[in-house]
Amino acid sequence: MILFDFDYERADTLEQAVALLARLQGDARALAGGTDLLPGMRMENIRPGLLVSLSGIEPEAPQVLADGSIRIDALTRLATLENSELVRRVVPMLAQSAHVVGGNQIRQMGTLGGNLCQEVRCLHLDQKHDYQFVAPCYKRGGTCCYPFPRNAPEVCWSVYMSDIAPALIALNAQVEILGETGTRRIDVEALFTGNGLKPLALSQAELLRAVLIPAAAPGFTWGFHKSTVRGGLEFGMAVLAVALQLAEDGRTCTDARIVVGAVREGPVRPVAAERSLIGKTLDEERMEQAAADTSRVVNPLPHHGFSKRHLMDNIRVHLRRTLARALQRARDQEAGR
Amino acid sequence: MHETGVVMLDVSKGKDVRVGAVAGAQSRTRLISLCVNGEWHEVAVKPRIMLVEVIRDTIGLTGTKASCESGICGACTVLIEGRPVLACITLAVECDGKQIRTVEGLAEGEKLSVVQEAFLDQGAVQCGFCTPGMLMSATALLERNPKPTRQDINKALEGNLCRCTGYNAIVDAVLQASGQENVKPVMK
Amino acid sequence: MSELNYVGKSVKRKDGPDKVTGKAVYTQDVRLPNTLIGRILRSPHPHARILRIDTSRARALPGVKAVITVEDTKGIKHGFVETPRYPPDQEVLARGKVVHVGEEIAALAAVDQITAQKALGLIDIEWEILPAVFEPEDAMRPGAPEIHPNHPKAPREFANIGGTTETQWGDIEKGFAESDYVREDRFECQLRTHGYLEPHVTLAHWESDKLNVWTSSMGVFVKRAKLAKVLDLPYSSVRIHKTYVGGTFGGKIDLYSHEYCASRLSMITGRPVQITASREEIFSAYRHAQPLILEIKTGVKKDGTLVAQRIRAINNAGAFRGSGVVVIFLAWGFTMIPYRIPNLKYEGFSVYTNHTVRAPQRGHGAPKVRFAIESQMDMIAEALGIDPITIRMRNAREPGEQLPNGDNTHRGGLAACVALAAEKSDFLAKVGRDRASPPKGTLRRGIGIGASAYMGGTLIYPNGSAVIVKMNDDGSAIVLTGAIDIGQGSETVISQIVAEELSIGMDDVKIISSDTDTTPQDIGAWISGMTYVTGNAARQAAGRAREKLLQVASEKMGAEVENLVLKDKMVYHRLNPELKMSYREVIAASVATHRGDTIIGEGFWRTMRDEPTHPSLATTKGRWTENYAFSAQVAEVEVDIETGEARLVKALTVHDCGFPINPQLVKGQVDGQISMALGHAFMEEVLTKDGYTLNPNWLDYRMPTIHNMAISEDADVITEQYRVGQPYRTKEVGEGLISGILAAMGNAVYDATGVRLYSTPFSAEKILAGLRALEYAAKKVRSASKAPA
Repeated sequence: MILFDFDYERADTLEQAVALLARLQGDARALAGGTDLLPGMRMENIRPGLLVSLSGIEPEAPQVLADGSIRIDALTRLATLENSELVRRVVPMLAQSAHVVGGNQIRQMGTLGGNLCQEVRCLHLDQKHDYQFVAPCYKRGGTCCYPFPRNAPEVCWSVYMSDIAPALIALNAQVEILGETGTRRIDVEALFTGNGLKPLALSQAELLRAVLIPAAAPGFTWGFHKSTVRGGLEFGMAVLAVALQLAEDGRTCTDARIVVGAVREGPVRPVAAERSLIGKTLDEERMEQAAADTSRVVNPLPHHGFSKRHLMDNIRVHLRRTLARALQRARDQEAGR
Repeated sequence: MHETGVVMLDVSKGKDVRVGAVAGAQSRTRLISLCVNGEWHEVAVKPRIMLVEVIRDTIGLTGTKASCESGICGACTVLIEGRPVLACITLAVECDGKQIRTVEGLAEGEKLSVVQEAFLDQGAVQCGFCTPGMLMSATALLERNPKPTRQDINKALEGNLCRCTGYNAIVDAVLQASGQENVKPVMK
Repeated sequence: MSELNYVGKSVKRKDGPDKVTGKAVYTQDVRLPNTLIGRILRSPHPHARILRIDTSRARALPGVKAVITVEDTKGIKHGFVETPRYPPDQEVLARGKVVHVGEEIAALAAVDQITAQKALGLIDIEWEILPAVFEPEDAMRPGAPEIHPNHPKAPREFANIGGTTETQWGDIEKGFAESDYVREDRFECQLRTHGYLEPHVTLAHWESDKLNVWTSSMGVFVKRAKLAKVLDLPYSSVRIHKTYVGGTFGGKIDLYSHEYCASRLSMITGRPVQITASREEIFSAYRHAQPLILEIKTGVKKDGTLVAQRIRAINNAGAFRGSGVVVIFLAWGFTMIPYRIPNLKYEGFSVYTNHTVRAPQRGHGAPKVRFAIESQMDMIAEALGIDPITIRMRNAREPGEQLPNGDNTHRGGLAACVALAAEKSDFLAKVGRDRASPPKGTLRRGIGIGASAYMGGTLIYPNGSAVIVKMNDDGSAIVLTGAIDIGQGSETVISQIVAEELSIGMDDVKIISSDTDTTPQDIGAWISGMTYVTGNAARQAAGRAREKLLQVASEKMGAEVENLVLKDKMVYHRLNPELKMSYREVIAASVATHRGDTIIGEGFWRTMRDEPTHPSLATTKGRWTENYAFSAQVAEVEVDIETGEARLVKALTVHDCGFPINPQLVKGQVDGQISMALGHAFMEEVLTKDGYTLNPNWLDYRMPTIHNMAISEDADVITEQYRVGQPYRTKEVGEGLISGILAAMGNAVYDATGVRLYSTPFSAEKILAGLRALEYAAKKVRSASKAPA
């Protein structure tokens, strides 16, 4: 239960919601599925004076545009994403990444936009502070960092743990953002600041309206992996998303996007490792090397009881496998054609 | 009585909006209607009140359980418009006008639903505290997918923790209820 | 007459229909008008002196009805153990200093949650921070921060000792000298919690001169005794009411501060007060299990026969004595029951640290002890070149053996369990397979075995159970029992026994249970004895009612009792079925001709009915039980040698529960323990730093989900029988089956990978580190062999 009062308004349109958020200047928060926001309010990590509910706004169904790209309303529920025939056919990696979020009830409530806009996580942050960690940390406007006491005030090594963001970045997706002055469109990748204190590049009165994913060209293949201890109902220790573009020979890589999530303040792209694959034949050795390079350059933050070394091991092995699975998927599709 | 200093926020009509009461002030109590197990209830709630509090404390249906109250364990699972959701992280105001089903709504009079019967037949109930949530998740699954695979069952119930049974009997119960794998009752 | 209708059958749960329809009333479901909300102010420091508490601002807040601190208590202490050697050591609210984060300092009652929350913030405390200590071996060192004075009987070279257990037999040094092989190992376990779904919650209502309490517990009579004591009330003024309980696993036995506070606040305000612990409070301020450090030195003959064993157990017992001194006593027992050890020396230390207090947890130390011993057993076997089954069979207890404390194994025995487990799992064909010829890919299968034994119904307050069976004049029966159903199915089992003894239907039996005012005293659901102790009391009570029915029928029918049979609420003449009476007629006749006797049967039972005392925690002298349950469990695991990720694939449990009154309820206990054990093995850990809990929720404390199910097979070794009218012997089955399988999983990981793990959990990180160490060692061997001579 939440033990402070706030007000509540339901917006009929996203424009209304933005106008409300703008007027409240930081004291209002948009409420979509609430699966991240309301637990945060229960822990009093966030204490908004007003919630602007988006639940009265019916999301548009996912649609394929004339150029073959797919447009998905940010208010689409994760359960809709994972079960939508269209999404599973056109952007299966997105459906897969939605499928592994939380538990079923979370996916029934949570939305695509909400998942992208979730707060960063830290064991010291994610609990009530009645008698543990009472003095607020940097993230909560205070003057200390519990897990990394020597960190400077502008540094918050918390971890952004969305399962979907890495998939969207790998897919080179964009988000349409509605603000007071209209809409803007940026790469999903640009949504993340890499700063744990303010992980999203959104102003207070901006809301995600839609996600746009470009059409897959022939030769496209993908791989996705979420490392967990239990296989469900938890945030990942690492989330890996891979999008590859293969030449007609089915082995030469013409483009590669690798994204590692849940180990830093935002999703990370190991650009050098991606480049090391481009123009090359994807054999075991090359994939192994790219995975090893990635695990190093990503420089994972120790989080949720996992050491940096173990996270590096995990990323190295699972990224290599994810790359191999992407390749295999392309072969299977070729064989099935 | 909680109206002091609060002004209706109405953007759509372009009125001048004052927000003097928002920060830390009393929040407006709202009257909502929700239909629980076929009965409509009118309830006055503050925005911070969760659906689980309304179901248990106001309406008095205590079958829905409050366990972690932070959106993890699934004990408070109810169906809103047929979808299994966590009543402990759902604001009651968000449920205005909605159809809600709780564990009390599964049986028809004395007649238990096939899922309830299967849970008894398979010994899928021990302490019983996860049971209402588990039943709601299982019911929602079978309504959407009458012949789920074991993997489907796992995905549908992964958000419901049980510490007593080890889950084996629960999976068997869902299989029995769906008439699959020739799962027969083990308790008479 | 040997035909059984209910006992031995998988009868559906009596409480099942209420539990699947939401009608079952748990403590959180009890509503009283005008109830106040109670909250507890907890310590933000692991160790600090309270220089001043000022509650005046909180008291002044409108809506706050009462605030209490230790000054409002009678200053009566309580403890899990209350004996002359271990007097109670904990006050219900902190006095003068706090010794762990989350310790209860003050409590208040207010009109609603928000007011209570605000009021907590208005209590002012002035602190003097004291140095704190968290690791038991640090705390034992002289000069460590003193949490409590050393126990007067503890060795002087140590500090912070809450209690010790020491015992030995034979000649340990001679034993080692005579051994062909001796090895010494050290094992550790992580901090784990119970994970009951229902939170701790108490509703108390003081009315006139009676305190009515609803609380989530494991035994209402223990709660009453402790609560009445700290409130300084006669037992007759405290009534604990029945509620269903949403899981306990050991974590709801002791008196908890919130139970006192709700009661006291209700006495002050005259209104009902409810206190619910949030899940975070349960994780960061309530009691968890006990992490043990075990150092084991074992000597064996070439053929694997145990000759000598020396064990040192160190318990990180938290900030009060809790059940810490019980665990170091039990750890000895879990050592000596399964195998014959001719020479043994055991010493156990329960050490105070600035962690939260510890409670029993399903198995109460056994999983840790058996993990250590069974792991070492496999290491010894390998060193001797014998297999894991042979070494266990060589040492396993047989039926009729006398144990060092004077107990007897009776018809139970470990050997039969190990033999059957080996056979059913095809153990010897599977063990070593993947390491001998590694399969392609990165997955390795391994198999391992572990053995254990557990006692049932050991004497501790209230020691015995009584049951009353009241016949209704239509022949149905009401059973009054103090037994509490925490999910294990006690109401079902008791109903089966009463229905069997009286030859009436399951629906004819209605149970009134676990209410301290209306039901007779009961041992509670926490020493693995309810089916045996309360069950036998129920059998006896129903039996007495049956005897009366037969007596009256015999008089009315003019037949010898021996010639009468009972069936379906009727008394028949054995030789002349036409000669019969319904129970209704018999009971009417009893009232008419036996001066109004409506037929009530009473029964009572106790473990070791003729033993005067319970065993000594310090010296281990004294008997425990006549019901030892032995078990052998086999685990098959799968390990990914690239990632270190491991999982339990299949578990086989061979156990001797004596006689299963309800086989499916037994199976439910087995499956649940397998799940809990695999959580222990691969997932769960309460992470702490400086006494603060880092993962106080089920996202980050990883309890098994439905994805982590393992195939669980079980087989009973049936060693006892149930006969109507005769005492029966059933054995523990609800908590002893985490141990063998936990050890088996460790041994199976070794079998799959060659990595020996000395601590739980068997995390991917540890397994990978082990694999790396093996690789490194192999490289060194290779390069050494290549080096020129």
